[in-house]
Amino acid sequence: MQRYMMRRLVLAVPTLFGITVLIFIAMRILPGDPLSVIATEGGGQYTLTDDELEAARASLGLDRPLYQQYGSWIADVLRGDLGYSFWGDTPIRETVIRRGAISMEIAVLAVLVSWLVGVPLGILSATHRNSWVDHALRVLMTLLMAIPSFWIGLTVIMLLVTNFAWRPPLTIAQLWDDPVHNLQMVIGPALALGIGLAAGLARLTRSSVLESLHEDYVRTARSKGLADRIIVFRHVLRNAMLPIVTATGAAIGGLLGGAVATETAFGVPGLGSLLVQALVTRDWMVIQNLVLIYAVIFVLVNLAVDLSYGWIDPRIRYQ
Amino acid sequence: MRTDASNGQQCPGGTLNRRRFTQGAVAASGLLGGFLNAPALLAQDASPDATGTAADFLLAAPEDGAQSGGTLRVAFNAATANYDLFQGGSFPVLCHNYNGLVRENLMDGLKTIVPDLATAWQVSDDGLTWTFTIRQGVTFHDGAPLTSADVVATYERIVSPPEGTAITVRDRFPALSGVEAVDEFTVNFIFSRPQATFLQLLTEPGMVVYPQSVLAENGGDLRSLVAPGTGPFVYQEYVEGEFWRYTRNDNYWNPNVPYIDELRIIHLPAWPDRGTAVLTDQADLSWNVGIDTFEEGANRADTFMTHRNAAFGAYCVYINAAVEPFTDPRVRRAMHLVLDREALIQVFRSQEQINLSRWVPRSNQFATPLEEIQTLPGYRPEKDEDVAEAKRLLEEAGFADGIPDVDFLCASVPGHSELLGPAIQDMLLRNLNIQTTIRTQERTLLSEDMQTGNFTLVLSTVGSPISDFSPLGNQTLKTGGSGNFTNYSNPEFDQLLEQSDQELDDEARQAQIRQIEDLLDQDSPLLMLGYTDQLVMWNKRVKGLALELRDHWENARVETAWIEQSS
Repeated sequence: MQRYMMRRLVLAVPTLFGITVLIFIAMRILPGDPLSVIATEGGGQYTLTDDELEAARASLGLDRPLYQQYGSWIADVLRGDLGYSFWGDTPIRETVIRRGAISMEIAVLAVLVSWLVGVPLGILSATHRNSWVDHALRVLMTLLMAIPSFWIGLTVIMLLVTNFAWRPPLTIAQLWDDPVHNLQMVIGPALALGIGLAAGLARLTRSSVLESLHEDYVRTARSKGLADRIIVFRHVLRNAMLPIVTATGAAIGGLLGGAVATETAFGVPGLGSLLVQALVTRDWMVIQNLVLIYAVIFVLVNLAVDLSYGWIDPRIRYQ
Repeated sequence: MRTDASNGQQCPGGTLNRRRFTQGAVAASGLLGGFLNAPALLAQDASPDATGTAADFLLAAPEDGAQSGGTLRVAFNAATANYDLFQGGSFPVLCHNYNGLVRENLMDGLKTIVPDLATAWQVSDDGLTWTFTIRQGVTFHDGAPLTSADVVATYERIVSPPEGTAITVRDRFPALSGVEAVDEFTVNFIFSRPQATFLQLLTEPGMVVYPQSVLAENGGDLRSLVAPGTGPFVYQEYVEGEFWRYTRNDNYWNPNVPYIDELRIIHLPAWPDRGTAVLTDQADLSWNVGIDTFEEGANRADTFMTHRNAAFGAYCVYINAAVEPFTDPRVRRAMHLVLDREALIQVFRSQEQINLSRWVPRSNQFATPLEEIQTLPGYRPEKDEDVAEAKRLLEEAGFADGIPDVDFLCASVPGHSELLGPAIQDMLLRNLNIQTTIRTQERTLLSEDMQTGNFTLVLSTVGSPISDFSPLGNQTLKTGGSGNFTNYSNPEFDQLLEQSDQELDDEARQAQIRQIEDLLDQDSPLLMLGYTDQLVMWNKRVKGLALELRDHWENARVETAWIEQSS
């Protein structure tokens, strides 16, 4: 297993290298750069002359050859230094840690919610196949899958503000500094995201459990007189877990980087809103580093998912 | 209930200290030439014989019994491109660290110009030299004393920008040719021709004074550091994308202010979020909130106050005058005439508050009164006559059947590309058979397309740092202006603009600006849709800013603010 892990990690290096090259080139090819526009709310916008733009670009090191810019970025990353945004004086690493902690909490809580809600409902639906319970749950799941989580967020915020003059906090408090404030901040997006995820997971669990229920070992277990509850939870569920774990792994990666709309709807300053802000201001350093971090997360989560297969199903061997 | 000192309207929330209000005003007005009426003040101060000496004038809260302590939380867009206010740094978040030479008065709703770091100023008879006396005994936050060398070093960057810098305020002072220290506390600003708007431009909160030593250490480029200032608050931290934190400057040169211990500016780029932050007591004040939350705040008048301020940015459609047939003024005039501005204002109401205006913001003394605008062709609600005239003009220009395949560039935000853009598109099609195709572009990249001339029509904004028309005219409409993307060139306009820029007499300038407005309505470089309003909302416990007296935006200084402690 250790050899398998090592091989996967070594194989991840060219993947990550490819991603760094792609994002680096994409940022330079796409229109706009950090000096695209300098605007102010209420007073119009300023325009720089071509000479001023050139001079300002040079002062940011954007006039250096591309290979030099790429080389110094990668060298910094390998030293664990993500550098600075083009304009900010806060190291990107600090910003990522501060905001990443919030996004991580939301992602973990959302996955927890999705498992706590989705898996039991999926099992219930499968074990009561074609009953009114199954029909009702399937309608509910489809509905929840169809409703975007940011819409749930906006609706919840509107109801809270108009009826209770309350809304989740708008400034970050870390879990270790102020747990109550922190929980108020993350619980909304976690629920909104988790419920949508739960609906998908419930459908997946239903089909996976249904498939396992038709296996020979289930018939054998039943013929031995085992209770349905024991058959489902001890035998069927374990065999049905592989697709659920795979889907969860993909969801964690997506949640860490892709909950932009939900973060925005709840006003949570997480990694998603950081990426959007960096895209708007064309802050290449922040974009490059965030994309790299997402890539690393995806690689590691996929590896963890693959490794978990062996734990869930001991028949699986790593070579 | 308190009485609005300027117009006698009643406003809830305490008593305005009329004695102190007038004392401050009189102290300065007697010396500055009467500044209870802002427009009059600006013109008088700009006149060649205007002088100001007001060493004793110090800002303070306009109410009695101002209480000290507490934190003021402001919800606003707290992002900044960099930290240099002369290079595009955002003044709503940075200005608290600094002072300018002069400023608009927080005590009377920004209606007058009062001293800041300058205690006196004088303009020469020919209008070519402005002399400022610098306040003594002022120190920067790093302990260095303020002298005229700091003022010279700061403003010399406009005249001779250091290499590698992009001094975005340069366009505002086209005639400024030199800044020189007369002695340790006297500075001369030398002009190649008079500039009527000079003093008003200096009041913008971004026109701050930096320490000469820090400028020298950084090659005149302060984009990467928050340089020490002389301001009422001391910069403590900026957590990017979250908040700015300032604490009171205990050694501030004005012993009256600030009252609050801490100022926190929370980064909320979305207007509705700012509104909900105030409504849910996560912020005490926001300079511009969403319309729904603004109305909700207005409904809860026991706790919140709301007020509309004129902004100096306007929505408009740029017309590329280098593209046929828009080279023909008759075609552009026809387009100007058929726009139903009232309808467009309603269409866009859920996004931003546009008000019916011509080329000058409504808060400016030279603006055409609303009642008059409503009678003018193109602006009036009755369209039949205007549409008939527009059709006639288009026919005369040889386009009786309309104009096909017109590129119409819009920002890819829903309000532009899905509301305002299609509404304008429909008006042009329905009335003149001008067939436009909307092309969307990311908002930040719109100006690149405009700069390179890659458009025929583009829905965008135009703006000015002050309410006066001059900066907008010089940058956007004058032949060769740095923001003249429309390729508009009208020698008559250029001449009128230059005349009005140098005209120091109010009445004469008013007539010139009206002439300019008439000319631009006839030969339109862009289709002006109207200037916007900002929706200010605050908790009633916030005092000291006379916000309800304002008629225009500032979104910045708060040192006279105090928080009423609940008993």
